[in-house]
Amino acid sequence: MSTELSAGHVFQARVTLAQRWEQACFWLFRGATYLVLLCGAVVFLNIFVKGSRTVFQPTAPFINTAFFTESPESLHVFVWQGKKMEMGDREHRAFVAQHPEAAKIKTEDYVYSAGGIFPCIVGTVLLVVGSMTIALVLGVSAAVYLNEYARDGTFIRFVRLAILNLAGVPSIVFGLFGFGMFVLFFDWNVSLIAGWFTLAFMVLPVIITASEESLKAVPKGFREGSLALGATKWQTIRKNVLPYALPGILTSSILGIARVAGETAPIMFTAAYVVRDKLPWDVDKFSDFFFQGVMALPYHIYVVSSKIPQNEYTERVQYGTAFVFLLIVALIATTSIVLRNHLRNRYKW
Amino acid sequence: MDVPSAATSAGFLANKSKFHLLGLTLDDCIRVFFGGNAVVSVVVLALITIFLFKEGFGFFGQNEGNLRVYRQAGLEYVDIIRAQQDDHTALTRYLSDLRVRQFKTMVGAGKLSPAAANQALAGFDDFAGRFGDAVGPIRGIVSDLTEAATAIKDKFINVENHKEERRQLLAAGKAAAAAAVVIDNVDFSAELKPLLATLPAYKEANAEFSRQLTAVLADAPVLPAAELQVRMERFKQLVREYLAGFPVVEQKLAAWDYTRPVPWYQAFTSFIFGREWLTASFWQDWYGVIPLFIGTLMVSAVALVLAVPLGVGAAIYVNQIATATEQRFIKPGIEFISAIPSVVLGFFGIAVLGQALRALSQVTWLAWVPGFPFSERLNILTAGCLLALIAVPTIFTLAEDALNNVPRSFKEASFALGASRLQTIIKIIVPASLSGIISAVLLGLGRVVGETMVVLLCAGNRIAIPDFTAGLAVITQPVHTMTGIIAQEMGEVVHGSIHYRALFVVGMVLFFLSLLINYLAQRVVRRYRISIG
Amino acid sequence: MVTASTLMETRSPAPNLRPTLPAAEAGRPAAPAAPAGQILIDIDHVDFFYGASQALHDINLKVEDKKVTAFIGPSGCGKSTLLRCLNRMNDLIDGTRVARGSIKIRGIDIHRRDVDVIELRKRVGMVFQKSNPFPKSIYENITYGLRLQGVSNKARLDEIVEKSLRGAALWDEVKDRLHASGLGLSGGQQQRLCIARAIAVEPEVILMDEPCSALDPIATAKVEELIHELKTRFTIVIVTHNMQQAARCSDKTAFFYMGRLIEYADTQTIFMNPGNPQTEAYVSGRFG
Repeated sequence: MSTELSAGHVFQARVTLAQRWEQACFWLFRGATYLVLLCGAVVFLNIFVKGSRTVFQPTAPFINTAFFTESPESLHVFVWQGKKMEMGDREHRAFVAQHPEAAKIKTEDYVYSAGGIFPCIVGTVLLVVGSMTIALVLGVSAAVYLNEYARDGTFIRFVRLAILNLAGVPSIVFGLFGFGMFVLFFDWNVSLIAGWFTLAFMVLPVIITASEESLKAVPKGFREGSLALGATKWQTIRKNVLPYALPGILTSSILGIARVAGETAPIMFTAAYVVRDKLPWDVDKFSDFFFQGVMALPYHIYVVSSKIPQNEYTERVQYGTAFVFLLIVALIATTSIVLRNHLRNRYKW
Repeated sequence: MDVPSAATSAGFLANKSKFHLLGLTLDDCIRVFFGGNAVVSVVVLALITIFLFKEGFGFFGQNEGNLRVYRQAGLEYVDIIRAQQDDHTALTRYLSDLRVRQFKTMVGAGKLSPAAANQALAGFDDFAGRFGDAVGPIRGIVSDLTEAATAIKDKFINVENHKEERRQLLAAGKAAAAAAVVIDNVDFSAELKPLLATLPAYKEANAEFSRQLTAVLADAPVLPAAELQVRMERFKQLVREYLAGFPVVEQKLAAWDYTRPVPWYQAFTSFIFGREWLTASFWQDWYGVIPLFIGTLMVSAVALVLAVPLGVGAAIYVNQIATATEQRFIKPGIEFISAIPSVVLGFFGIAVLGQALRALSQVTWLAWVPGFPFSERLNILTAGCLLALIAVPTIFTLAEDALNNVPRSFKEASFALGASRLQTIIKIIVPASLSGIISAVLLGLGRVVGETMVVLLCAGNRIAIPDFTAGLAVITQPVHTMTGIIAQEMGEVVHGSIHYRALFVVGMVLFFLSLLINYLAQRVVRRYRISIG
Repeated sequence: MVTASTLMETRSPAPNLRPTLPAAEAGRPAAPAAPAGQILIDIDHVDFFYGASQALHDINLKVEDKKVTAFIGPSGCGKSTLLRCLNRMNDLIDGTRVARGSIKIRGIDIHRRDVDVIELRKRVGMVFQKSNPFPKSIYENITYGLRLQGVSNKARLDEIVEKSLRGAALWDEVKDRLHASGLGLSGGQQQRLCIARAIAVEPEVILMDEPCSALDPIATAKVEELIHELKTRFTIVIVTHNMQQAARCSDKTAFFYMGRLIEYADTQTIFMNPGNPQTEAYVSGRFG
């Protein structure tokens, strides 16, 4: 190519077809990225906007406290003296007691569409706390053993591989296992404790793998340095390994919490009830506490979105529940992301 | 420091008083604690596998029994005739489809009013009517035999229940009560005699049926439109083939023998290749995984088709093209999507996406899209779209990692040779990280295959192999999936029943499928590590 | 304690080993002349394996008290392996074993069953190739070993910290920021911090595994200077790649090649008048 053509000098910038093509491709990639974000945003905003109508209210205290503190009830819709009335079950009963003639009026009933989701929140919290306790104790200990104590033989490698692979097993399979083993074989029935163990074993591989990874990230020099100073193995682990692995373990366990809280399939037939009038602490014996089923947010969403029709009356509780649930899980996940980024910057060696 | 050497040297002999428990030092105790926890974890995780197998393998024995009863009680015999009847029904359907087309051409051309068209088709209707009615006697026989066979099966099941009762009583030590349980074994050959005795009657009816069809076929009406006449000819051809099959049916019936043993492998093959999943039926339960497997496959395929370009594209964009500011919000944004619980996505599918897609499909100028318009709100497409949203973050994160692992020097070398950014990406970065990307896609697939709530809520839950003759439009049909069926039916089954065990076998299939996917992903990555050096 | 040690002494009297000295060692002229040279570490016919591959072949070597002994040799010759045997750091690596021979420190075989490896490591400190300060403050780095031994008296800890840092020639540089992270120091300072950390527990022996390989010349000079000062108080065994370093700061030098001890003698002898042609080739820079 001659210099005359390139108007000036050899390095003269020109817009060529190849550059246009490159730009077009970049826009394609950019489009894909923003499309994904857009889809996520649509889901989130849809639930946020419609759910906030249930959760918030225009008057003080601006939050619909009843939704958070009451149990689900049936909603009765009927026409009373030319006015359309919507009442929860209890309210309706009181109303009928006051106005006996109202008993004859035909009502449209929608189950679970009135009241709140208090028992579901309680149930989810109980499930998460119990299962994470079990999973963390077992998981972190197992990781410490595998990474610090176990000799690296064929068996340990096999165990590690098996654990890694179990992390990819679908949650429903864990549910199946929990149902067969805890609910039927151990005869615990549908109960909190069956749910705890099922969920715990579901996240166990994830926690073990992530904890081991955090332990591995602690430089070998820390261990050698400590041992060379005459520390025992346990002193080394406690003072010079675990503290530095803890942030990583913490992050992964928070992600584990998000996963435990978010999963429906494993608790569907191990721990969750469609509806339960009693709250978990209403038990006769202490031991009954562990052997009772609970309501849980994710299962409640499944129930209200698949077992009752879609209309303006049921929509409130559907979106409200989804909103609260999404918010909780999102909060947990955000905490872990922020924590991780924060710690990643702080601990560098 | 100048301690006498003797005293100093003794220092590192383990003669100090230390904490001891059962002869173990503190360090040993701690080691045992950690080791114990590790053992518990490993044992329980192993138990999962063992338990799946324990519950699952029982299925094959029970299924064999199930298939044996199917044969011994004569259900199989009846189904031979029923198949013949079903084929006839299919032919009738072909005929009515033909009538609809005929009607449309007549009215559509504007020449005839609907009433006139109907009148013009009277001859055709008469023909179709006669064709349809001809099956009457056969249908009668099938219905009688169905009753008879069901009665034998019920009797057998009753006896089995009694046996079980006695066994339980004996196990409980109640010998007297056990002896009181009356068990009269079913003599299949005696029970089947009346059933088999109907063969001559059937043959007669069949001959008459054949005669009638031939007669009907002889004066089949000629259709005005040439293209429909082609179809009519095709119909005639089909009927002729159908008639030609009659002797085969009769031979099959004559040769049928209830004592012929059910081959051992059929319990497996009828599950793995079974095209029907039919439970709680009055007639015969079938546990064939194919419709569920295909459902899972279809949904996953749609999800991947959507998620792979988006996920990989986004990974390339963020890793190679985006500015630092963009990276800072895109990455957490996509990670945030992965935090949306699947049940919420499923709810979104029911409440919003299903409706929206259906509305979109009914837009007239989009009618050229295969499958549009569709009427089922919940179908493969709806579930696939949502699953794509689940798969994208997985694919994105892992693919981005893989891209990140490409040494900087590769990129710099490419730039130094005067390659543009796009050239560098396509020719250097992506090929170098290809196995990482493939493994990311595989793990995304694993995520999608194992997803339960979205498919349970949004895939439509129709247990049938979708109609692939529809071409691409097949993605607008509802299906059921392996994960979905477990979630839906597990709560309702009786512990230890064949149905319960069948669900465990489906779980086993899922288990192995996920192991396979994971294994492949790891293999691919291992190769990739070597290639990078 | 006393009974155990007396038992030790009777069990393995050092003089018995004399006749088994290898040719290379026996042939060195300066060895018996070492004046302060009380034998501290006695390595006797040691064979060492990593799994199936033998890393050390029949090593015989005696390290003298309050002297600096340097191990030199090309990469992979086994010098670091031998060093790590001396405080049994090799125990941490799976599949390693001393197949034959013994290592005795003050006459006690350190592989004996009743040896507490923790106590051993308290007495035989180590400084690593890559400086590895813990991500704690300088103060905590130094007190780490002491706290493990249960020393918690603040005044005493302060005293030891100062003493150790002065001992490691680091005090003046860090005395104003004792509670800043040890990771904030420069490479040379980090390595001296590690040395300070090692001497804080008052070991008898300090093993140094190529302590200067990651340092610039100025930092290296400081560490070498430090080694000079330390040898009045400690016995030092140093592994180094750098022959000038060995020549500068060691009293005795052992040359290893392919897992064998080729020559062990006074540093001067090794560098000026090596007895073995291989040693000569190496120290004159012809291979390695």
